[in-house]
Amino acid sequence: MSRTLSQFRRVAGRTSGQSRSVAIAIAATLAMACLPAASAAAQAASPVAGEREPIAIVVNPKDGVSNLSFDELRRIFLGEQQFWPDRSKVTLLVRAPVARERAVVLNEIYRMNEDQFRQYWIGKMFRAEIAGGPKIVYSSDMAMNLVSMIPGSITFVLASAITPNSKVIRIDGKLPSDPGYPLK
Amino acid sequence: MPVVHAMFFGDADYVATDRKIPAGFQLGQVVGHLIVSFNDRLNYFGEFSATAQSTGYAFEVERSILRYDFDDNLKISVGRYHTPIGYWNTAFHHGTWLQTTVSRPEMIKFGSELLPTHFVGAFAEGNLPSGGLGLQYQAGIGNGRGSIISRAGDAGDINGSRAWTVALSARPEALFGLQVGADYYRDRVTPATGADAAEGISSAYVAWQREQPEFIAEYDQIAHTPTAGGPRTTSNAYYVQLAYRLTGEAHQWKPYARFEHTTVPATDVIFAPLDLGYEGAITGLRYDFTSFAALKAEYRREHFQTYEWSNGAYLQVSFTVPNLGGGDHTTMQQ
Repeated sequence: MSRTLSQFRRVAGRTSGQSRSVAIAIAATLAMACLPAASAAAQAASPVAGEREPIAIVVNPKDGVSNLSFDELRRIFLGEQQFWPDRSKVTLLVRAPVARERAVVLNEIYRMNEDQFRQYWIGKMFRAEIAGGPKIVYSSDMAMNLVSMIPGSITFVLASAITPNSKVIRIDGKLPSDPGYPLK
Repeated sequence: MPVVHAMFFGDADYVATDRKIPAGFQLGQVVGHLIVSFNDRLNYFGEFSATAQSTGYAFEVERSILRYDFDDNLKISVGRYHTPIGYWNTAFHHGTWLQTTVSRPEMIKFGSELLPTHFVGAFAEGNLPSGGLGLQYQAGIGNGRGSIISRAGDAGDINGSRAWTVALSARPEALFGLQVGADYYRDRVTPATGADAAEGISSAYVAWQREQPEFIAEYDQIAHTPTAGGPRTTSNAYYVQLAYRLTGEAHQWKPYARFEHTTVPATDVIFAPLDLGYEGAITGLRYDFTSFAALKAEYRREHFQTYEWSNGAYLQVSFTVPNLGGGDHTTMQQ
């Protein structure tokens, strides 16, 4: 827990003081304002009995996006698309190994194993395509806290880890609980 | 506060060859990367190398780029680059650990005279709206080659004729792992000795980097037209590389092979005196004994233009030290 908090503070500390204050204010406001919607989202994300628990894609509540195609999602996770349509910067939050949601994302989105995943990001930095790899989060709580704090951020968690202030987006028009949802 | 990342690449080699070149143990390049994010849009990319030579170490600023990202479709930068000619020059270059093989193809070797591997100038680059085709562009203007044609014009354009280049590549969603591209480079070359010529380089490549298999093929055509008059000549160079990452218990092993060929006409006013003709084939085995280090063993049979066929055996340990002391928490540390 202390490690999680330490990581959280360090990542949050990289945002400017002004933007951090704004982010905290927005997060707090939205946490209250979005409770009914988040509850509905959490209900929609409940896994169907007998199926593997789906992985929800969560963005900062301030982000204008509510639906992505799977190809768009892959481009964002691959760092091919580094800006949202409103030209704000994407901040990718990726769960550290070993976690089931990371395994699903590596398998379904990246189609890479752990070694290939590391080499991929080193290669991207080497070629000056990106200035930094994904931010690492060490728990679902940390992912949910940071995604609510950092404007432009996007992450993934088990559907059961969705919190009231979260904004779960549709992938190809589907929520995690919908049949045919691609991340299970 | 700026966020700083640093990375290192390095290698150590053992060479046994019947070529008349220094053999035995060799320290390859030690390459450091410094990446600074001043904010969400302004970034600096620096790459610095130390290369072992018989008289000591040669230190070089390989890349020094300051870039402003307006969005995904437009990024403007100035500085010193790896010229976007073909695939290898920008994909691997000084990152020995990143490349499957011990060394680069001969056409892009260290100190290459065939291709202008570095470029000093300015670039615009970004994505092109193309749906699932994943099109990207680069367009640059710069000094072109120096009077020593293996070097970029770091201190200024020696002949007042700017070089320019355009490159287009695609990473289609439907064929995840595939990258294809083509580019064109134009300059006027003025060597310290010899004739002055207009240079046009056309290049195309296909790269499939999923490792099962890995396939890279690149073709370059370099045309020279003497400015004082005379026939246009074209030199051709290509390589084809195939590798395959084994599965299961053997997943750390990757056998590979490459064939390459360079032809230079005897009438080429720039290249002919440099003996750049080459034909060679390599086969080898890469063993990734950790996530960040690899051992490579390679056999090479090759023929330089004015020499007999030669045989060589090469061993290399290459490694990377990712994200040294960075103010960020990236996947590389996991």
